Amino acid sequence: MSSVEPDGESTGLILHVQRLSTEDGPGIRSTVFFKQCPLSCRWCHNPESISAQPQLQWYSTRCMGCHSCVGACPSGCISFGPQGFLLDRARCDGCGACVEECPTNALELLGRRVRVDALAEELAKDRAYFESSGGGVTLSGGEPLAQSGFAIALLQRLKEKGIATALDTCGFAATEGMGQALRSTDTLLFDLKIMDRVSHMAFTGQPNELILKNVLLARTLREAGETGARLWIRTPLIPGATATRENIVAIGAFIAEHLDGVLERWELCAFNNLCREQYRRLGMEWAYAETPLYDTSQLDEISGWARASGVDPSRVAVTGAARAAYSRTEETRRS
Amino acid sequence: MAGHVAATSRAPSERPHAIKTPSNLSPRITWLRDYYFSGTARAWNNEFTSWTTGTPWDFQFNELTFYIVPETYTFFPTFRAAFRQTARRVDLDPHFWSWSLPERRAWFLRRVMTRSLPCEILPGDLIAGARFNVMTSTCLTSKEAAEFDRLVVGKAGTRQAVKWAHDHGYGNAGATSGHLIPDYPRVLKHGWRGITQEIEQALEALPAREKQGRRAAQLRGMLIAAGTARELAARYEAVCENLVAETKDPTRARELRQMARNLSLVPWGPSSTFWEAVQSLWLTHMLVMSDENYPGPGLSFGRIDQYLLPYWQRSLAQGMDRELGKEILKCFWIHCNTAYDAMIRTGAHQGITAGYGQLLSLSGRGPDGHDMTNDLTWAILEVIDEMSPILEPKPNVRLHRGSPDALLEKLVDMIASSQGSPFLLNFDERSEAGMLLEARLAGLEKQITPANVADYASVGCLENTMPGNDRSGTVDVNLNLLKAVELTLTGGYDLVPFADPMTGKTDAVTRRGSGTGDPTGFRTFEQFWAAYAAQNRFITKLLVDLYESSESVRARFSPTPYLSCLVRGCIEKGLDVTQGGAEIGFVTIEAVTFATTVDSLLAVKHLVYDRAACTMEELVAALKDNWVGHEKLQALAANKAPKYGRDDNEADAMARRVMELWTSETWRHTTRSTHRQFRPGMLSWNYWVSDGFVLAASPDGRPKGKFLSNALCPSNGADTNGPTANANSVGKVLAGEAEKDGVRFATENLLPNGGSHTISFNPTMARDPEHRAKLAAFLRGYARNGGSALQINMIDAEMLRDAQAHPESYRHLLVRVTGYNAYFTTVGKELQDEIIARESHALR
Repeated sequence: MSSVEPDGESTGLILHVQRLSTEDGPGIRSTVFFKQCPLSCRWCHNPESISAQPQLQWYSTRCMGCHSCVGACPSGCISFGPQGFLLDRARCDGCGACVEECPTNALELLGRRVRVDALAEELAKDRAYFESSGGGVTLSGGEPLAQSGFAIALLQRLKEKGIATALDTCGFAATEGMGQALRSTDTLLFDLKIMDRVSHMAFTGQPNELILKNVLLARTLREAGETGARLWIRTPLIPGATATRENIVAIGAFIAEHLDGVLERWELCAFNNLCREQYRRLGMEWAYAETPLYDTSQLDEISGWARASGVDPSRVAVTGAARAAYSRTEETRRS
Repeated sequence: MAGHVAATSRAPSERPHAIKTPSNLSPRITWLRDYYFSGTARAWNNEFTSWTTGTPWDFQFNELTFYIVPETYTFFPTFRAAFRQTARRVDLDPHFWSWSLPERRAWFLRRVMTRSLPCEILPGDLIAGARFNVMTSTCLTSKEAAEFDRLVVGKAGTRQAVKWAHDHGYGNAGATSGHLIPDYPRVLKHGWRGITQEIEQALEALPAREKQGRRAAQLRGMLIAAGTARELAARYEAVCENLVAETKDPTRARELRQMARNLSLVPWGPSSTFWEAVQSLWLTHMLVMSDENYPGPGLSFGRIDQYLLPYWQRSLAQGMDRELGKEILKCFWIHCNTAYDAMIRTGAHQGITAGYGQLLSLSGRGPDGHDMTNDLTWAILEVIDEMSPILEPKPNVRLHRGSPDALLEKLVDMIASSQGSPFLLNFDERSEAGMLLEARLAGLEKQITPANVADYASVGCLENTMPGNDRSGTVDVNLNLLKAVELTLTGGYDLVPFADPMTGKTDAVTRRGSGTGDPTGFRTFEQFWAAYAAQNRFITKLLVDLYESSESVRARFSPTPYLSCLVRGCIEKGLDVTQGGAEIGFVTIEAVTFATTVDSLLAVKHLVYDRAACTMEELVAALKDNWVGHEKLQALAANKAPKYGRDDNEADAMARRVMELWTSETWRHTTRSTHRQFRPGMLSWNYWVSDGFVLAASPDGRPKGKFLSNALCPSNGADTNGPTANANSVGKVLAGEAEKDGVRFATENLLPNGGSHTISFNPTMARDPEHRAKLAAFLRGYARNGGSALQINMIDAEMLRDAQAHPESYRHLLVRVTGYNAYFTTVGKELQDEIIARESHALR
């Protein structure tokens, strides 16, 4: 399973499919979470999606201690210590034999290889809901374009079936692949995280020139009529990283200058800490484990910066943890 | 980044009470509503009163109608004795005992309602017709009573048989009251005078040799019954006039004078105004409950926003204030709730249970597919919204491909504001497909046609019937499909012999099921399936026979001549509705434990045949031990075997196979005494909870004592792919494979009665207009891909707390807080607390 198939267009590695997703673009959607991401954002909320390899995960609360997994592992890399399940991750090749034997699903393999045609057929099962809602399929992750051949093939297959598509991307992808993907994309959910080059490097492990180049490409292709993709910019609000006044204003200024008339929505996605346990299960440290959630007044303040940044204020939306409370505040203020 | 919404199936009863409060109520309605909810503190109520012919053998309580409520079995002797002891004597006509039974019953009820029961009108009430909960004499002669008792309480009687079937996990069956839509529009149009004339004509038309026969007796009984409402209205008219004389309030005096005038005209004559129509409807309706001695058991109104519309429009045109129209409806709403007064001093909540179901249907499409939503639909929705929370009448809103956006928007708003659906949603295309199927299979293509099928409506909980001419025994037979799996695993024996909890006596080990042999000899799953099919045939026949025993007794001894006047077919045939007089008269077998059965068969196939994780001996041993000591095998069954409800085509094919098998068995049967064809449905009422303690452990990993699956729903927690996958699975078992890439056009339905389907959503799914629009779109998608009826619950903080305490039951509960999702039970306690706090917050 560890080697990438020579024919990248026919199969890909995904985490899972989330159906009736209401947060990943317009309408009712099915979201395909891809494995693998070129960035390594310090706050990453889907740590299981970074690696290009399938990863084994153990849920202590589900384990009944039958140790079926120990015997099932062909490379003998599973043992049990005082804290429970122990995995020699260096030697585990993600074959999944232990997962198959585990009676309680305490072991899960993150990442499964799927064929484009089988996946597209599975996704088409919710066509009735896509059509009734103006929704469709969203490719997310991880970074879908890290497996660009597979992602493009999937987008094309979905379009052939008449299913609307969305691409949720961090933007750090080869321009050629981005361009090809956009030609089969109806909604582009594009992350702009940090405008400052150095800071971007520090927090995500990569520079941002390519990302900015790609978002401009989206505009160019739109203007040339080569893609009809609606554009949503998404900015995760991470305390001390992205959610500074300087950064939000800078992103806003960039949008106002370059994406005016193309931007449909700028989503500010509030920080959340639901992935804390996920880090623990993967045996990883998380720098934000103790970071508190935003309260409504903080979100209010941040969105205020965005609204004043030069972007059409009606395009700014806040999603996430405190949103329900936030909307109420908004309603109260308007009334 | 992820979206998320979670779904599991749950019973509405498990949902904590909604925090919604009533709004926009006038002082009149506020008072009436508060007074109603003051319960036993009220000076007035509608508690059962009992009435006797005065003979030593007389009794009132008819246990047949309670056979489908196993919790009551042990109380039968007490109920019978209590009503008998408290019964007041009615002076009989000197010729009483020379009359036929239908005449005696009709005369007795009429006498009680119009001479014996007090008539009152509550302050401010705009509708007359208060007391109707009565236990009237069975009116049997000593010879008839002895025969009844021999058949019912005798050694080989129905009581023992029904108890045996329940104790051994087969289910239950009994000839039950209500569960139909009387022909109310006919009363509104022609009055009881019109019905009376029809009966007279039918009597005259009888050939001379039949003038003294059974049909003539039945029609004479109905003729007596048809005068009841007129006589009762006259009494209430007098009450109104007395109150006019007493009142000092000129406005109230005007109202009372109008009420008196209404009562002088209806229900004997046709209605012309809206107020008259509602008055006529109520008096006519409440007397059915009197006639059946049962408060509101699925006695339903049908498409009330359609047949009341002409009166509504006429009155509005003549100057009726729209709010007065709603006020009249609100009074009607209060009256419906007084059904619960029957047992007001018994049990919790002052006798208010969810067991009644005076259902009404709103909106829906017309014969040519066009939407029928109208101004009265909206007014009634406003009434529901303003009166809620209130239990009766239970609204059912019909949706279809052409339902207007505004209606869906309103429904979703109401769902969002009450933590769940204040009504049941019915889906026309799927429902009508089922009705047309039953017409084909039962040779009723003249009665149910493409041109009139859109007139269908639901009764009770969600059971589809035609209005005015259809009694289809929609809750009368409740079959536990899972029993057939048990019998297959043992070759026809109970897996664990039944031990009587009172006597401690254990059953002798005898084979009752089909002799399908030792299952350890089955080499393939197909052999196992063949044995299952034989056992399925056996259990179906067993319940059909059980039903026959009470159906035949009811047909002989318990006529309801008043109700028979309101069911088309009874006059023409001169047959009581209890004798199969209705033009359309199915008996519905409601299958219980569907998903548990499907998942059990999938588990047998997976564990024994595909995966070879155990032998058949080991599996049977584990089940006999209730899985104790076999935990690993149990976990494999629960977690590794495929499950229905995930939109997994292979698992759903098994579900479809189970569905085709049991429904085709059902269509093989007809009652012998009344010639009623059996038809399939899926309801489950609360049996899926209580029978979980009766049925042995099942191969799907369920131990005895754990809930079974509910109606059409996947097993609790099995729908790991969310609501769309859940709905698609349901659509597949009803309508087969998709016709076109992912869209299952609603042209087929194996369950004409309909099937109950509940989906729970996270309340955040309705937290703002954007998400409410997505929920509405989900309903439109459901209309194409899902079942015939849907109930929506919102997962609330209470459920999350329960999930925190019992994580094993909520493994697949996804919580969405932002663009990410997590399994609720896998995040730490403190995070769970945060999510609970947020979820509680999000609702306000």
